[in-house]
Amino acid sequence: MNSLSLHQFSTSTVLLLMFAFYGGTYLLTLGIRKKKEDADAYMVSNHRIGFGIGAASMTATWIWAASFYAAATSGYTYGVSGPIHYGLWGALMILFIYPFGRRFRKLAPNAHTLGELIHARHGSSSQLILALSNVLGSVISLMVNFTAAGALVSVLSPLSFQAGVIIAGVGVLLYTLWSGFRASVMTDFAQLVALMAIAVVIIPAVFFAMGGPSELVAGLDNLTAEQADFFSMDAILNQGAPFFVAVLAYAIGNQTISQRLFAVNEEHIKPTFITATIGYGAIVIGLGMIGLMALTLGIQPLDGDMNNLIPQMVSGYLPPVFIALFFVLVIGSLSSTADSDLSALSAIMMADVYGKNIARGKADPKRMLLVGRLTMIIATAVGIVFASFSLDILVMLVFVGALWGAIVFPVIASCFWNRVTNAAFTTSVLIAMITFCVARFEWLPMSGLTALAFEGLASIGGGIIIALMVFGFLGRAAGLIAGVLAMLALLVFATDFLRDYTVLLASLTAYGTSTLVCVVMSLMSSQRFDFDTIGQRVGDYDQAAIPADEDASHGDLAGATR
Amino acid sequence: MTTLYAFYVLIWPALTLGVLVLICRAVLRDRRDARRESRELV
Repeated sequence: MNSLSLHQFSTSTVLLLMFAFYGGTYLLTLGIRKKKEDADAYMVSNHRIGFGIGAASMTATWIWAASFYAAATSGYTYGVSGPIHYGLWGALMILFIYPFGRRFRKLAPNAHTLGELIHARHGSSSQLILALSNVLGSVISLMVNFTAAGALVSVLSPLSFQAGVIIAGVGVLLYTLWSGFRASVMTDFAQLVALMAIAVVIIPAVFFAMGGPSELVAGLDNLTAEQADFFSMDAILNQGAPFFVAVLAYAIGNQTISQRLFAVNEEHIKPTFITATIGYGAIVIGLGMIGLMALTLGIQPLDGDMNNLIPQMVSGYLPPVFIALFFVLVIGSLSSTADSDLSALSAIMMADVYGKNIARGKADPKRMLLVGRLTMIIATAVGIVFASFSLDILVMLVFVGALWGAIVFPVIASCFWNRVTNAAFTTSVLIAMITFCVARFEWLPMSGLTALAFEGLASIGGGIIIALMVFGFLGRAAGLIAGVLAMLALLVFATDFLRDYTVLLASLTAYGTSTLVCVVMSLMSSQRFDFDTIGQRVGDYDQAAIPADEDASHGDLAGATR
Repeated sequence: MTTLYAFYVLIWPALTLGVLVLICRAVLRDRRDARRESRELV
């Protein structure tokens, strides 16, 4: 069997499934709805979310529809190690941000966004750079998730792509609009339970339906030597390495993660992040195994589209009820990420844009809520339009990737090193963006001294990635040693080699340039920052809005917040 | 070899099940704590 067709649902079945899913989710949010929501809770709940809800929300948010398709594609393309090289690094993105997250939370326990912390540390320009990167990331994520809904609906039913996009967009907006982040985390739990339960059933069901372990082992003869090798260099260089480079950038550049970081009870940050890491890895690698199964069986993806692999396998080996479960699995995963993106975007517009830059110390919580809700409506409309017209977002993706890479060092250094200045932050990011573009779009020919210079910057970038990862868990000395060793190794092995891998060269150059400029400018500064002032400058908006005579106990915080 | 590959494929849904049970138990505990302290779950 090498060509499996897709099961087709009737229009009414798909509509029933979608309305049942979004209707049920909406009903769930009615239980937590308040007539008068407060602005702080709309962004981060009460800063005391428990371990269970926190871990569920973190896992559900990080799993989006593309996780399954890309993991299966990786398994199908790179063979035995393929699912690991997708899921492991995606999972480690959650884990590696945890030590830095604890620092963020310690500095600004009442923050709603990472941008607020950076605003308190540096001021508006650095904060807005971070906010811009977060906004672009969430808009792209929204569009990708709505696109996945449209694609799924159109391949499994007679309904059009646009119909799927619109139902998903409106459905997500409907249950998130009123209660914001609170609705997002509450529904994340239910969505995660559904998608985990379905994954637990579907993976072994497909595995045994296709013939079980003996059939899989027999099918290994169909694999190339690289695909059969668990330590395949092809898989490492093409799938693992680019993900590894992005591990810190994705987590820093993503407000959905920092929002949960500021919402979870401080005592539970560690178990929350570790559980989410294991949960994400297990689900995504497990579903990636279906791609490996398809490869061993010699299945050809329908119409050459790798995204059809999992639906094909489920359609080919399991009864229709499992296709319906798979449908719910994908809708659940894309909806949980999309509602988190809406909450993230609303928090950025409420706190970073309105609270810190428009109201400037006189933020009205009611107006903040209005800003948040309007942001959700506009973001959903933008996501639906971008997805419906299948707009080419490649340039935006490239730009956001570069921005995320460029801000990693300045953001982390700003929270640990008291000499980093606003000018060093802003200048380093801007120069890093320029050098990124030079390398990525080959504005200069990558040969001779130019190529050597860029490979040098990229080596610094590689070194700093390793240094930051080790620093997060083992401290400054270990981080420094590991970073220097990694940089030296890269200088030896990357010279005259990395210039041929434009994307990797450009990404590492962004890290290296921003680090170099930020360090040099900071060392030239005589400024010393007192980190204790951050906690005083970042506070709750609703409490701050209570007049002093009504709540004298909050007077100090209110004054500091404004 | 067969056993090894069976383990390699099936360990992930098993881990998923473990995390699912852990999260569900933790949410029940969160709910109990929230009720005891007369506050909302989220």
